[in-house]
Amino acid sequence: MMTADVQKSRRAFLQSLAVGCACCAYGPAHARLLDYKLAANEIASDTWTVYGASEYFNFDNGGNIVNVAFIEVPDGVVVVDTGPSRRYGEALLALIEKTIPGKPVLRVYNTHHHPDHCFGNQVFESNTLASSQGVIDNIKLEGDGFADNLYRLVGDWMRGTAPVAPGKVLDAKTEVVGGRQFSHFYLSGHTSADLVIRDDETGVLFSGDLAFLYRAPTTPHADIAQWRTSLGVLAKTDRDLILPGHGLIDPKGESLEQTDDYLSWVDGTLRDAVSQGLTMNEAMALPIPRRFAGLGVVQTEYVRSVSHLYARLEDNLMPLIEITR
Amino acid sequence: MNTMTIVGKTFSKRLMLPVITSIVCVLTTGLMSFAHARDLPPDPYESVMWENMAERFFPGDKVIFDERVKVIAPQSAEDQFHVPLTIDASEISDVVEVVAVADLNPIPHILTFRPKKAHAFLGFRLKLQQATAIHVGVRTKDDVWHIGAAYIDAAGGGCTAPAAVHGTVNWMSTLGQTRALARRDANGDARMTLRMRHPMDTGLASGIPAFFMNTITVRDQNQEVLAELELFEPVSENPTLTIKPFVSKNGGLLEVAARDNEGHEFGFGLSVPAGIDP
Repeated sequence: MMTADVQKSRRAFLQSLAVGCACCAYGPAHARLLDYKLAANEIASDTWTVYGASEYFNFDNGGNIVNVAFIEVPDGVVVVDTGPSRRYGEALLALIEKTIPGKPVLRVYNTHHHPDHCFGNQVFESNTLASSQGVIDNIKLEGDGFADNLYRLVGDWMRGTAPVAPGKVLDAKTEVVGGRQFSHFYLSGHTSADLVIRDDETGVLFSGDLAFLYRAPTTPHADIAQWRTSLGVLAKTDRDLILPGHGLIDPKGESLEQTDDYLSWVDGTLRDAVSQGLTMNEAMALPIPRRFAGLGVVQTEYVRSVSHLYARLEDNLMPLIEITR
Repeated sequence: MNTMTIVGKTFSKRLMLPVITSIVCVLTTGLMSFAHARDLPPDPYESVMWENMAERFFPGDKVIFDERVKVIAPQSAEDQFHVPLTIDASEISDVVEVVAVADLNPIPHILTFRPKKAHAFLGFRLKLQQATAIHVGVRTKDDVWHIGAAYIDAAGGGCTAPAAVHGTVNWMSTLGQTRALARRDANGDARMTLRMRHPMDTGLASGIPAFFMNTITVRDQNQEVLAELELFEPVSENPTLTIKPFVSKNGGLLEVAARDNEGHEFGFGLSVPAGIDP
C-alpha cells in the first residue's frame, strides 16, 4: 500500500518527467498541448458545421476527420454526431455554448457507430442521445474494440474516452425537437445501420457516411449493394443541402453521385481482380482512375477497401470445387 | 510402489528442470555468440530479432539481402487476422525453397514454399500478433540465402484469438471446403488461386489446440511435383494461396493434395486453360 505522500511525490516526479519531455524542441506533435481548435461554420440558417480534416486518423489530427453539426431550434439545440473523443466532445460543447449561449442541448443524434461519429457522446446528457436500434446495438457490440484501435492510432487525444450508446431508440419517421420537425431515414450500406437526419425547416440533409464529398469513402463495414441502394433513396429525397459525413457541404447532390461512382468502380475492379486470381497485394496495386484523384486519401482508402471486401468476393465468385477426402 | 516411483520421478524431474534450463541457456548463449560471429548483413528494418531469425531459419554462411526478393505487403495491417502478403522472387533462377518468417510473432515461421516447377511467386495471408518485420529467405541451389523484407504496422492479438469459425455452429461440416480457379496471366503464365476452409488454430487461443493445414502439394497430370508448401500456425484462417506453376501452353491438369496436422486429407483436380502466345 502506498501512502498518500508517496503517491503525491511519485506523481510529481512523473509530471516533471512529462514536462521535461514536452519541452524538447523537437518533440513529436502529440506532446504539444492537445487542442482541436474547433470552428463553427454557418451552412444554413441557424445551422453550423464543424469540419474535420479530409485525412485518416493520425497523431496530429487526433481523429478530427469528421463533420459534426449543430442546429439552433426554437427551444434549444440539436446536435448531429459528436466526434472522435471525449476531448472533442468537450470542445464541441464549449463551441455550441459560445455560438448559441444559454440554450440547452435537447437532442444528440448518432448517424452510425463508427468511432469518429459517436465517441464524444460521453459529455452529453444520456437522455438526449438518440439513434436507431441498429446503431445502438452496433455501438454496444463494437465500441470497445474501436476504442482500443483509436487509442493506438491517435494516442493521448483519446484520454478518458469510453464508448457510450444512446439511451433513446428512434423508430418513427419524424420527431419534433424543441419546436422543430426532423425526419429520420433508416438506411444501411456504409454500416449495417445508417441513420440519415433531415431538418424539415431548412431542408439540410445530414447524410452521415452514406455520402462523402472529395474524400474517399470508407468501407470497413460496408455492403456495397445496400449502400448504392441507399444512395438511390437519398437521391430522390427532398432536400436543399447535404452535409456529408466527410468533405464539404453539397448543394447539388454531387456527393451522392461521387460516392456511387467510386463504390461502383471499387466493386467492379475487385470483382475482376478476384476472377483473374490476383492476390490481394496485386489488387491493392491496381491503378486508380484519374477522376478519383481529387478524393482525399483515396490511395489509403482503396488499399483498406481491398482488405475489407476481397475475401467476401472470393467466397462469392470463386467456383466451389468438389474435393475427395 | 508404482505410484511412489512415478511421484519420485516427477519430483526428480522437477528438480532437474532448472538444471536443464541453465544448461540450455548456456548452450543458447554460446550458439548466439556463434551467430554474431557469422557476420550477417544488417537488417534494413533493424529488427531486434533479425540475427535470431537468420540463425534459426536461414542457416549456413551465405546470407545476402537481394532486392529481387520482393515482399509486397500493406504498410499497416487493416485486419491483423488476414494480412495479405505476396512474395515474388521470380527473377531469381535455381530457387530451392522460400522461407517466410514474421520476426515478432509468437510462432515466427509462416511457411516454406518449394517451387519445383513453378515461379518463385506466392500470395497468401497471415496473422500478426503485433507490428513486425517480415523476412523472406530464398535459398538457391548454391546454398545462398537471398533475403527480402517488409515491415507491417499492426494492432495486437492476431495469433491468440479464436478463429472466426468457432463462433458458428458445427464448423467441422465445412472443413476443407474448397474454392479454386486457374487462369492465364496476360503474358501467358498459368496461375492458380485456392481457398480452403480451415480454422488454422494456432494453439495460442485459450482452450483451442493447434489445428492447421500443414502441407499442400501441387502435381501435374503425370504426378510430377510442381510445388510444395509447408504451412504453419501463422497462416490465416481459410488459407488462400496463389501460385504460378509451369503448365504447358496446351493446358493441363493440376492435382492438389492437402493435409492438416490431425491427418485430414483433401484432394482436388483443376484444369488450366491453354495459353495464348503473349
